[in-house]
Amino acid sequence: MDADTGRQQLVAALARVAEGDRAALRLVYEETAAKLLGVCLRILKDRDEAEDVLQDVYLNVWRKAGSFDPVRASPITWLVAVARNRAIDRLRSGKLIRRSAPLEEAAEIADEAPSAFETLGAAQDAVRLGRCLDALEARQSAAIKAAFLDGLTYDELAQRGGVPLSTMKSWIRRGLAKLRACLEQ
Amino acid sequence: MSANGTKDRDEHGAVTAAEYVLGVLDAAQRRAAEQRLAHDTTFAREVAFWEERLGPIAESVAPVTPPQDGWARIERKLEREAQAANPRRGVWNNLPLWRGLALASAALAAGCIAAFVYLVDLSGTVSPLVARLDEQSGQPGFIAASNPQDGSVTIVPAALLGQAQHSLELWVIPPGGKPHSLGLIDPDRPVKVQVPPALQPHVSADSTLAITLEPLGGSPTGDPTGPIVAKGTLAAL
Repeated sequence: MDADTGRQQLVAALARVAEGDRAALRLVYEETAAKLLGVCLRILKDRDEAEDVLQDVYLNVWRKAGSFDPVRASPITWLVAVARNRAIDRLRSGKLIRRSAPLEEAAEIADEAPSAFETLGAAQDAVRLGRCLDALEARQSAAIKAAFLDGLTYDELAQRGGVPLSTMKSWIRRGLAKLRACLEQ
Repeated sequence: MSANGTKDRDEHGAVTAAEYVLGVLDAAQRRAAEQRLAHDTTFAREVAFWEERLGPIAESVAPVTPPQDGWARIERKLEREAQAANPRRGVWNNLPLWRGLALASAALAAGCIAAFVYLVDLSGTVSPLVARLDEQSGQPGFIAASNPQDGSVTIVPAALLGQAQHSLELWVIPPGGKPHSLGLIDPDRPVKVQVPPALQPHVSADSTLAITLEPLGGSPTGDPTGPIVAKGTLAAL
């Protein structure tokens, strides 16, 4: 499946989901669940929690599909945003029990190549973002990536990096400002 | 966004939006951001900007095979939600259209008032006929009023049905007779249906008015093919 077709199919499926088409939701699930489970698991570090949140994610997609705007967002980044929001909310709820379970033990890496971003037509955005992240100071881009992927708060990031909170805030905020300037070029 | 790293001025929420998307806010800050998202369009635009731009960071995350019964679990939850939203039985449960159906009493009252105003407005010498078309639950779905003077039937929805996949078709059924189509109606606003002269004798007291759910554009056969959404009997005021 080439990238444009994949993206268009996903856009069309989301439009049908917005009209209450359950078969279309299943299509969206089959195309994207492995990717979104990976995203949730990376944040939650617990397989059961991640699977539980994954269900919430698609129930959320079922209710919110009408708010997806294919002109403003690519379907896969929109879905990733829904998944990350659910996972981070779960993480912040303080109800996680098994936070210490090692990731490798739980994760069963799906045999999927090329990546969902390539087949779903967001590869160019990824290339541009990668270039702009590379242009930042290494510690800035590392902090931004860690925050995004692991869903950590400023406090947690500062502890993990062994730097004062104010330093971590400054790295990330300056990094974001530069990133924005680069992305808007 | 201030670049000097001392005191942050964030009048337009640009910093907060980026931080919200990045995921560094704590639970209370996230809730505040979500509330702001609902009413502050500038803030919402900022959030959308960052979601779209930062999203590809997730490209580096390896996909993980979901559990075998992953979809089945979601489907069960959808089913439960649909049942909770609509506890009806039989055919009613199978219609996705009823998902989210809410019989708002305000809409109901508005429908009745609209019908009443319309009837008062009839300065007729011939008295109009009126029917309340009830849903199976017993709640009024539509108010219908026929005007013998100009041979029309006005249908006022007593509740909003919200239906994009199907058409609603109005039928008149004379006592002991078969249904005759009076055309399609709009679930969202009052519709005045012009009754063909040949059918006008059927629009009489004791005739039944019924509304069925049909494929978009109406029944393909000329007879009702879908379930009855609402029905009622015409009676003189």
